[in-house]
Amino acid sequence: MTVLDQLNSSGLYLVCGAIVLFIAAVCVVFLVRAWRAGIALGMDPVRMKRAITSSATFSVLPSVGILLGVLALSGSLGIPWPWLRLSVIGALHYETQVAGAAAEQVGIKLAPGAMTTQAFATIALLMSACIIWGMILAALFNKRYLKRLQGRNTAGKSGSGFGDLAMIAMFIGMVSAYLGSYLGELVSGNGRFTFSGSWIPLLVAAVAAAAMAGFIYLAEKKHWEWLDNFSIAGSMLLGMLAAVLAGA
Amino acid sequence: MMDKKVAYEAYMKTTHRLGRIVSVLTLILLLGAPFVIGSLLGTMPDLGAAARGFLSVGLVWTVSSIVEYLVYTPMLGAGGSYLAFITGNLINMKIPCAMNARELVGAKTGTAENEVISTLSIATSSLVTIVVLALGVLGMIPLRPVLESPALQPAFANVVPALFGAMAYKYFRKDIRLALVPLCIMSLLFMFVPSLTASTSFMIIPAGAIAIGLSWLKYRKGLKEAARK
Repeated sequence: MTVLDQLNSSGLYLVCGAIVLFIAAVCVVFLVRAWRAGIALGMDPVRMKRAITSSATFSVLPSVGILLGVLALSGSLGIPWPWLRLSVIGALHYETQVAGAAAEQVGIKLAPGAMTTQAFATIALLMSACIIWGMILAALFNKRYLKRLQGRNTAGKSGSGFGDLAMIAMFIGMVSAYLGSYLGELVSGNGRFTFSGSWIPLLVAAVAAAAMAGFIYLAEKKHWEWLDNFSIAGSMLLGMLAAVLAGA
Repeated sequence: MMDKKVAYEAYMKTTHRLGRIVSVLTLILLLGAPFVIGSLLGTMPDLGAAARGFLSVGLVWTVSSIVEYLVYTPMLGAGGSYLAFITGNLINMKIPCAMNARELVGAKTGTAENEVISTLSIATSSLVTIVVLALGVLGMIPLRPVLESPALQPAFANVVPALFGAMAYKYFRKDIRLALVPLCIMSLLFMFVPSLTASTSFMIIPAGAIAIGLSWLKYRKGLKEAARK
């Protein structure tokens, strides 16, 4: 029995599957509680359903991308562990980076055929330990932190306050950083100002942005509001299609 | 009105209690799993190597986690943030997903409506990921040839640019003049220091700070003008 066979054994599926099931149950509990709280607060069920539908459609495509991450890591870590990591707490860029660094510390490369059982257990522990802080901070400080923010919000003079503007600005900053990196990749990706880097991410972003413009036009000007639910996923799909066509 | 306030306060109290309990349980499960798996494999993790690995990469992720916590918790509210920090994939999925849902229903930060919508959104998003991954893992063998086909690889390698392209149009149109400043600064930085592309997620911090700073100045200016009138 090879190491990879052991990493794909039913025992590992059972351990990882049980944890995934626990997290799924937690999500269902939070979902039901939030729905009931919304009804008790007098919120419109149609709007709540709309939030759920849009979130579900929004999440399908990125989830398929995450599934590919499971595939990518399964060659060296087996299927069950990457399945657990990417279902529950991780993100592909994080998992890949930490798994690589952990493999380095145990003196192997993260590659099929190189894995040992102890190396795997060590890598698994490090992958778990490095990304727990958000959860710990939330458990320790969420109540106080949110109460403090709430106090600031209610102390504000205007109706909406600066909170919403700050969130939009934060998002603009986040998007700017990524778009800037795609532009930087094209211009200096293969040496400063050589203009020979990859242009695909920029093309994909441009097509997705154009598609979003189309969706917003149809929703706002033609009053096809239902399209809003699919605008992000649809724009992403068209952007990704552009990558396939450009790569063909 | 009073009943609603009391009901919401009771909901929040239970949410915090539940959030803390499930966070601690998840922590125990995730840190315990490598030891349980190790015992199934007849070995144990090398704690010395794990500690060295933590010092090399773990500290970076610790700083990143603290910043993520401080920045995203106000967006997500109580229930949403407990769930999001348990289920992960924040930047690439949970945050834009919750922002999108919030936008669709017009909920404002810090309100009870935002708390409910954000929790509904994060819980739904997490369940979709769990279901897609479970189905994918179940069907991984027949699915592998399709998903790994070379023709589809460029698509899945560009999920993040597709996401940020779509979000760019959605958010930049709210204040294009504000957006141009961080966009130009970030583009120039990445052009002059190409190695920064490996740390894009960290560059969100200065980019966000610039955008928030400009937005604050504009907000203050608006308040002063309103007061003058």
